[in-house]
Amino acid sequence: MKRFTIILLSLILAASTIPALAQRARITCSGSTTVLPVAQATAEAFMNEHPNVNISVRGGGSGVGVAALQNGTVDIANSSRLMKSSEISQCRARGINPTRYAIANDGIAIVLHASNPVRNLTVAQIRSIYTGQITNWNAVGGPSLPIIVISRDVASGTFEVFNEKALRGARVVSSAQMLASNNAVVSTVADTPGAIGYAGLGYVTGGVHAISVNGIMVNEDNVKNGSYPLSRKLYMYTNGRASGMVDRYISFIQSARGQALVREAGFITLN
Amino acid sequence: MKKLTLIITCIFTLLSSVAWAGEIKVSGEMWNRWTMENGTTQADTLNSELRQNFFSLERGYLGLEAVFTDNIKGRFTVDMFSTDALKDGAGLKLKHAYLDFNHLIPVPDMKLTAGLQKVYFGSIYDWDYTLIGKAPTDEYKLANSADYGVTLNGYLPQGWGEYALGLYNGEGYKNWGANLKNNTELSFLGNLRLTPIPGLTVGGSIMTNSSERETLINTGADNAAYNTRFLADGLLRYAYGPISVSGEYMSSSVEYPNVAGGAKDYTATGLMIMPVLSLRNWVGTDLQLTGRYDRWDETDNSSNPNLSNTITAGLNYNFLHNESAVPAMQIQLNYSSRSYVADESGSAYANGLKDYDQLMLQLKWRFSNTIK
Repeated sequence: MKRFTIILLSLILAASTIPALAQRARITCSGSTTVLPVAQATAEAFMNEHPNVNISVRGGGSGVGVAALQNGTVDIANSSRLMKSSEISQCRARGINPTRYAIANDGIAIVLHASNPVRNLTVAQIRSIYTGQITNWNAVGGPSLPIIVISRDVASGTFEVFNEKALRGARVVSSAQMLASNNAVVSTVADTPGAIGYAGLGYVTGGVHAISVNGIMVNEDNVKNGSYPLSRKLYMYTNGRASGMVDRYISFIQSARGQALVREAGFITLN
Repeated sequence: MKKLTLIITCIFTLLSSVAWAGEIKVSGEMWNRWTMENGTTQADTLNSELRQNFFSLERGYLGLEAVFTDNIKGRFTVDMFSTDALKDGAGLKLKHAYLDFNHLIPVPDMKLTAGLQKVYFGSIYDWDYTLIGKAPTDEYKLANSADYGVTLNGYLPQGWGEYALGLYNGEGYKNWGANLKNNTELSFLGNLRLTPIPGLTVGGSIMTNSSERETLINTGADNAAYNTRFLADGLLRYAYGPISVSGEYMSSSVEYPNVAGGAKDYTATGLMIMPVLSLRNWVGTDLQLTGRYDRWDETDNSSNPNLSNTITAGLNYNFLHNESAVPAMQIQLNYSSRSYVADESGSAYANGLKDYDQLMLQLKWRFSNTIK
């Protein structure tokens, strides 16, 4: 009877353990739409190397990712800006210890329609355009053409960094179109001759051209050394130090192979 | 007439916000509740009987948040309710109407808030109604959840906590103008919360307050009803994974300087402990088990001596989460039992009502949308 009980218990244990072993490790991350292509490309490559891992990547904006980390429903919050003191405080009060990992560099490119001859704007001119004080391209050395202002929605980290570094808290003109993604900004500018927009460097395509700011071009060297005025880092936040597969995934992104994918996605590597 | 004025004010605020604000967010929250209460009465302190059994829209909040610039933001909230004893079956109050000014004072993450706003005392300002009941300082009438005033509030660097300093009327958002009974003394508030390690929150707040006027405005004679209050509150909270436990201790020292010999002076104290357990990781559904223990000791108050113990147990079912995992709907089931220590309490304590058992079922739903 005793032996039968041991065998039975062993079978039950084995039956409950085998599906658990077979189960794929799951990593969830959400947040910044700017970080999204980097996260998607690296997740795909990481899953190819680790078939037992399933990484789910969602957008929504940096604020959404941070809130999801705070609510304990994601492993990684993708963010194109640093977390605010209020967000860190609210996380810590709930027992979440947000820990930051830089995964790429990025420059917020100021993009104009391909036909626009303007090649440089100062930060002050950009602020004047976005606050409605300059409304025609002829005021900044361009053709006599009304300026169409395109911006990101206020929930995006890209908007917050642009707001901090270019607008310095000033209000965007009410006639501006507030769009939900980098792609939407770039494609709208590409289709609108008088338009100005801004987007992560990785999204700049052929239909638009990125101009210099304060005479400094948005390129790898200028972003890495911080001389380009609209430079930033892209981050992943975890609850405490990353461990297990989450740690391996982030380490993969920071590795030479992961950084090659960062470059392929149009962003700038860490080193 | 008063209600009409309020409605006109609401419409005016909405229209002017739409015109000037760069971004406008509309939000709302409704609490539909069924309450059944069994208890003893002053007439019969031995036998329980059904005292309440009703449905209500306990609270309905409609809010408007207008972002004028990155540094100036306004908030406007109307509080609707159907439970107060009004003949027309509904009430309407202004709950919030304030402006936040960031960077007005060059201290990082500090803002100045002016208008009808939160009272940063104890847990009342961030009480999220995990249980249906009110925050303890609200429940035992130590502080109001909102009041007219000016505050400096903000966050410490690196998530180390938050603070607030404030000047208020001191009599809550329901009282203003003539209702203040000529009280000319403002209320002072200080609040500090620290999070030394993730999950552990330690905090405290103090508030000085008074009601009525020290001397009668018509005759200049001493006003016996004038009283001053010193309120203090300590808070301890620990959150780890699916478990959180909060503890709050509060005290209220009331003095009547115009009553001879301090005959009406008293000190009341209270304690609350509240554990919450999230079952989400085990059952795959956003369920929470909650509990709460309250002890309120006002035996020193000669006009209403009472000592009560209250135990509450609750179950929350949260559903329709948004992409940040915030639920749009919540069903709450609460059972509360309050018992008064008869030897320590006066015959007319608790407005003549005695011990009770209460069952409440509540459906809360909320929405939030950026409309501009």
